[in-house]
Amino acid sequence: MKSSKTTGAVALLASTLAFLGSSLTWAGGAQIIVVNSDGPGEGFNDPTQAAPVGGNSGTTRGQQRLIAFQHAANLWGAQLDSNVPIFVLASFDTLGANILGSAGATAVFSDFPGLAPGFFYPGVEFPATWYGSALADKRAGVDLNPGFADVRARFSSDFDFYLGLDTNHGARVDLVTVVLHELGHGLNFQTFVSSSTGANLAGQTDTYARRLVDATTGLTWDQMTNAQRQASAVRFGRLVWNGANVSADVPAVLSFGSPSVDVLSPLAIAGIYQFGTAAFGRTLGNPNVSGAVVAAQDAVEAGGGTSADGCSAFSNAAAVAGKIVLIERGFCGFAVKSRNATNAGAIAAVIYNQAANVNAAPPGMADDGVNGAFVTIPVVSLRRADGLAIIGQFAGGGVTASIGVDPNVRAGADAAGRARLYAPFPVVGGSSVSHYDTVANRNLLMEPAISGDLTHNLTAPFDLTKELLTDVGWFADSDLDGVANSLDCNPNSDLGATVVVGGNDSGVPNTLFGTGCSIADLIGKIAGPATNHGDFVSGVAKLTNELKASGVISGSQKGAIQSAAARANIP
Amino acid sequence: MRRLFMRLAPCALALALGASMVQADSSSSTQHAKRYLATRNITVDRVTGELRKPTDQEIADLVQSLETLTATPSNSAQPVARTGGGYMLSLQGASAGVMLARPNADGTMETKCVFSFEEGAEFLGLVADTSEQ
Repeated sequence: MKSSKTTGAVALLASTLAFLGSSLTWAGGAQIIVVNSDGPGEGFNDPTQAAPVGGNSGTTRGQQRLIAFQHAANLWGAQLDSNVPIFVLASFDTLGANILGSAGATAVFSDFPGLAPGFFYPGVEFPATWYGSALADKRAGVDLNPGFADVRARFSSDFDFYLGLDTNHGARVDLVTVVLHELGHGLNFQTFVSSSTGANLAGQTDTYARRLVDATTGLTWDQMTNAQRQASAVRFGRLVWNGANVSADVPAVLSFGSPSVDVLSPLAIAGIYQFGTAAFGRTLGNPNVSGAVVAAQDAVEAGGGTSADGCSAFSNAAAVAGKIVLIERGFCGFAVKSRNATNAGAIAAVIYNQAANVNAAPPGMADDGVNGAFVTIPVVSLRRADGLAIIGQFAGGGVTASIGVDPNVRAGADAAGRARLYAPFPVVGGSSVSHYDTVANRNLLMEPAISGDLTHNLTAPFDLTKELLTDVGWFADSDLDGVANSLDCNPNSDLGATVVVGGNDSGVPNTLFGTGCSIADLIGKIAGPATNHGDFVSGVAKLTNELKASGVISGSQKGAIQSAAARANIP
Repeated sequence: MRRLFMRLAPCALALALGASMVQADSSSSTQHAKRYLATRNITVDRVTGELRKPTDQEIADLVQSLETLTATPSNSAQPVARTGGGYMLSLQGASAGVMLARPNADGTMETKCVFSFEEGAEFLGLVADTSEQ
């Protein structure tokens, strides 16, 4: 890990001055400024020669890193609207070859008002709720922590990223995609709730947690106790996003056909279960299978086998035939157990973790190169607690289950069409809920793993990341007047300093109203339908009389606007 | 707003950004001052190109980076009232997502974004060495 001392203010000064000199204006969107905090000869300043690749014209490794990083920042900037520049303090450090990169908000804010004078920025949506720095600035209309970065990003100089801009990364990891993902977290695609305790940050919920709803209880995370949040975070398939923008675009992004292992009865354990898949056997849903579940029984093998591990021919083959068979993991390979299940006539095999893996997630099951070819049934894995829960119901009338693909549910959403968040039973404590569920199809940028087929698109029909950020507070505001497009009487307002009519500057301040329209906008609305110049001038006279009567403009200002209108060649 | 921003003193901005950086990095306290063992082949040997377990030094470096990047705000972190209204809480570089990678034998990479040291260690196959206890 590089010491902060190696990244001095000199580089920051140079890069910031470069920005100030080259980026004087912008229209709409958000400007995301990558502040290079690397020292000479390292990271973004690495002088190693590099051949241009995939649209990245840099000729050194450092240049290519910076171009790719800024490209990702620009892609985000094109999707978000903010009148406050977003500063990302970024560096490439010696993090090792197993750490790609990291980003997060530098600070959070709550209970701030809209602060930009003369504008209508809304401030917070909810009281006592944390907002990440960049989002808070957007809603306040001003930089709430002037001169400090909004997002801190560190990436690995030890990792061999693909540095092109075109997604033609092959088997390599695409830097632009990883930066897009991590910046997403820095822009508030994350909760600040403690992963280990379920506690809110400094006693307050956050704007992300307010949209996390547990479909089991119907409660959102801000309504829960610490213990309830802990339980919710590992409730596979039941933690969903309660946001209008994501839900509206789920149908455009996620396809029907949700893979599932669903216990149908008894009611006490009914529901969908987290499961792992096998690299052998029949593909899930081809076709779906459902039926009674029975436990495998076989000989106890010498050397540590058990009567439930399925490592020998089943002694209860007659009971297993035509059923879903439950097998304990261990002693022999997954493919061996599954082959024995096939030979016994089972319609599917479910392998649950043994005691040695009591806290492990359901494993992905590899073929051994021999037995997998003989497996003709679908095979899935379960965590140990779920396997034991099923066994616990055998004495009370049995268990029925379904394994396959639900054609009526979108992959990555629940039955109500709400996007699922990643809430696996954790091997260890971890804040996994700041991602979409891995069952999503198509693959999404904000799943916990980077999929090779991701594009650089952030919104529907390719992705749902922008939609989630809109839900947490990044409302669309094309003219940056602080009034959301959905509420704005003119989402592309004339926000010039003075009222100009047909090229004639009246010199009158162009007041912006809470509706999102300025005086110039209102005059524009008169000009549009006017059929002759007299109608237009008459309409402007009526408007300015009303503005004077309400105290917005003075009598002389009224005259100045009317004079400008009279001289304008409108229509 | 844009014009106002452009009138900010460049030097003050840059120095403040520098302060932010120092502040963020200073939070990297060592919370897992124990030894870890590797259970997976997550290192591509620079000489042979073969997958192997990381060496003790590589593990130590990896653990140090991971614990720094997955740091969380301390329980004592207190919001500060702002003069313009509301509260601010500096995260000092904590609460960040961290993208990890582990190579497969076929040359492909598996990735996972984590928010805690424990989640990251599990993905990379690092387990605490209890032999000294």
